[in-house]
Amino acid sequence: MTAILLISSALFCAGVYGLLSQRHAVGVLIAIELMINAANLLLVGFGWRTGGAFGQSFALFTMAIAVAEVVVGLALILLMYRSRGDVQVDQATELAQ
Amino acid sequence: MNPLISAALVALGLPAALALLLAVVPKLRRTGKPAALLSILGSLLALSAAGWLAATWLHDPKQVLDLTTSWLPQSGKSMSQVGVHLDGISVSMLLVVAIVASCVQLFSLGYLSDEPAPALGRYYAYQSLFLFSMNLLVLAPDLMQLFLGWELVGATSYLLIGFWFTRPAAGKAALKAFVVTKFADSGLILALITLVAWTGSFSWNATLPAGGAEWLALFLFIAVMGKSAQFPLHIWLPDAMQGPTPVSALLHAATMVAAGVYLIVRADPIFAAAPHVRLFMTDLGAITALFAALIAMVQTDIKKVLAYSTCSQLGYMISGLGAGSLMGGYFHLTTHAFFKALLFLAAGAVIHAVHSNELSDMGGLWRKLKFTTVAFVIGSLSLAGLPGLSGFYSKDLILEAVHESGNPLALGLLMATAGLTAFYMTRTVVKAFFGKPSHAAEHAHGPGPSMTIPLLILLVPAIGLGWLAGPMSKLYGRSYAFHLDTIGMVTIALGLGGIALGWLIYGMGLLQALPRAFAPIARIANGSTVDDLWALSYSKLGMGLARAIAWFDRYIIDGLMNFLGWLFMWSGQRVRTLQTGNVQDYLYAVFGAAALIALWGGWR
Repeated sequence: MTAILLISSALFCAGVYGLLSQRHAVGVLIAIELMINAANLLLVGFGWRTGGAFGQSFALFTMAIAVAEVVVGLALILLMYRSRGDVQVDQATELAQ
Repeated sequence: MNPLISAALVALGLPAALALLLAVVPKLRRTGKPAALLSILGSLLALSAAGWLAATWLHDPKQVLDLTTSWLPQSGKSMSQVGVHLDGISVSMLLVVAIVASCVQLFSLGYLSDEPAPALGRYYAYQSLFLFSMNLLVLAPDLMQLFLGWELVGATSYLLIGFWFTRPAAGKAALKAFVVTKFADSGLILALITLVAWTGSFSWNATLPAGGAEWLALFLFIAVMGKSAQFPLHIWLPDAMQGPTPVSALLHAATMVAAGVYLIVRADPIFAAAPHVRLFMTDLGAITALFAALIAMVQTDIKKVLAYSTCSQLGYMISGLGAGSLMGGYFHLTTHAFFKALLFLAAGAVIHAVHSNELSDMGGLWRKLKFTTVAFVIGSLSLAGLPGLSGFYSKDLILEAVHESGNPLALGLLMATAGLTAFYMTRTVVKAFFGKPSHAAEHAHGPGPSMTIPLLILLVPAIGLGWLAGPMSKLYGRSYAFHLDTIGMVTIALGLGGIALGWLIYGMGLLQALPRAFAPIARIANGSTVDDLWALSYSKLGMGLARAIAWFDRYIIDGLMNFLGWLFMWSGQRVRTLQTGNVQDYLYAVFGAAALIALWGGWR
């Protein structure tokens, strides 16, 4: 169990690091996926520990939502490319204006 | 409705209706003479109503009649009553006002005969408005309605002083009168606010908290000082002589300036409980009486002499009221109204004849204006307090009262004033009517009937009202019978001495050193010392205070606001650099905060 927690934490931290450091929008999206999967790992791990199908089924739900999220994310990236000509996250600072 | 109340309503409503009619129908106003006759008719009807009321009250002086309606309701009860309040005091004052107003309106017809028709109509509209306002004041059942009338007579006074508004001096005088009396009226407003805060009503009979009467009486007296031209707020009255002479007779001698005295008589329950204010009134009245009499001695303008004399006589009234003699102050108001109106109208006839106010343009007029001379001399003798004429009795009452109140200083000042009064009136009579005729006096023409009839009417009370002191005293719940004692005899001696001295100096040309000794007084009088003092106190005290307040407002109040504004602008500038627009910076903040929260949870 400890191993699962450690792996999950490591995965999440890798996700956070990627989220904060990646400049490319696709990289950011991948980092988010990493964090979702860290959470999924925990769900499955705790479900295995307590028995029953509750954890696994919830992880399936999360995957479905993650797919939807990726779709939205990729659409955003596409639009960003069309309107700005690049997909560098640190260049898009229009919110400051 | 009681017919007596209807009569009072006629006296109140008819002038109001006429003033309104003349105001809203310019065609009628611009006809001049018809408008004037209408207004005179209205005043005569008001006079007959007032005469009937007074006759009724002489039979039954204790009668009190009210027709009032509630005004300004507040939590179930009304703060104020408006309507008519008839008792001995208001009825007798109503009669005085009606007689003088009718005489003056009649007199004006002759005096202003050279005016263009629209101006004449305007004049009579003002006159009707004044009669209404004064009656509103006189018939007031409480201080609120009295205040309304008080302000309205002030406004008509402004309009009538500035009647010849094309003269700059008249406009200035009107403004001065208005501003000075309004300055004093702040006292009346203060009194009304205090009264309503303490008692919940504007009635002068309400029970006051302990010590409250002194404050109320003081506030009321400030207003009286302005309206009744007491030192040092008398400065507007001499300037008010810029108005037509009949206006001076009605407003600035007989009725409006007496409104202050009337207010004290009405609010007697308040003043009776304020011994300190009464003492102040006695002294200030005496000081005003002497001061104004001194200035009257050196005036060269016949109207200014009479104006300062009015000021002086009002001082007498205030002094008498301060000494606790309701009857003395009020009776002197009544007699003074008649003989001073007589003097002013006679002076008006003279001015009409020689087209000048200056005494030097007159002289030897008795040959041309025999009746006017008789009227003026009798008015002067009444004012000087010659026994048998009305002024003597009322003055004697006041002097007795001041004597009994144990105030030798005020008594001395008032006795000296009695002598001076006789002296300066003799001077005026001699200079205007006797001696060598001036150029203008040679071509003088006598007054017409519309000017002589009012003089004739006013002669009757100016001579005989003193004998009616007994019946009159019953009207205000006193009983009085004249008896001559030491003070009366000393006053007679002083009066005769003043007349004799005046005749010696101005009639026979003896003792010429004495007029030269008056030169310092003349400097004070003509250099307008009191006006300068007011101007100085305004420029130094008033402006200094204003500057201090302006500094406080600019640097403390505004400064605080500006500092707050600057603080938020500055901190906003600092904070806006945090907003970079870079999503990852925000995420740093989110994760950093989450990590801190997690750490904090672990720590606990």
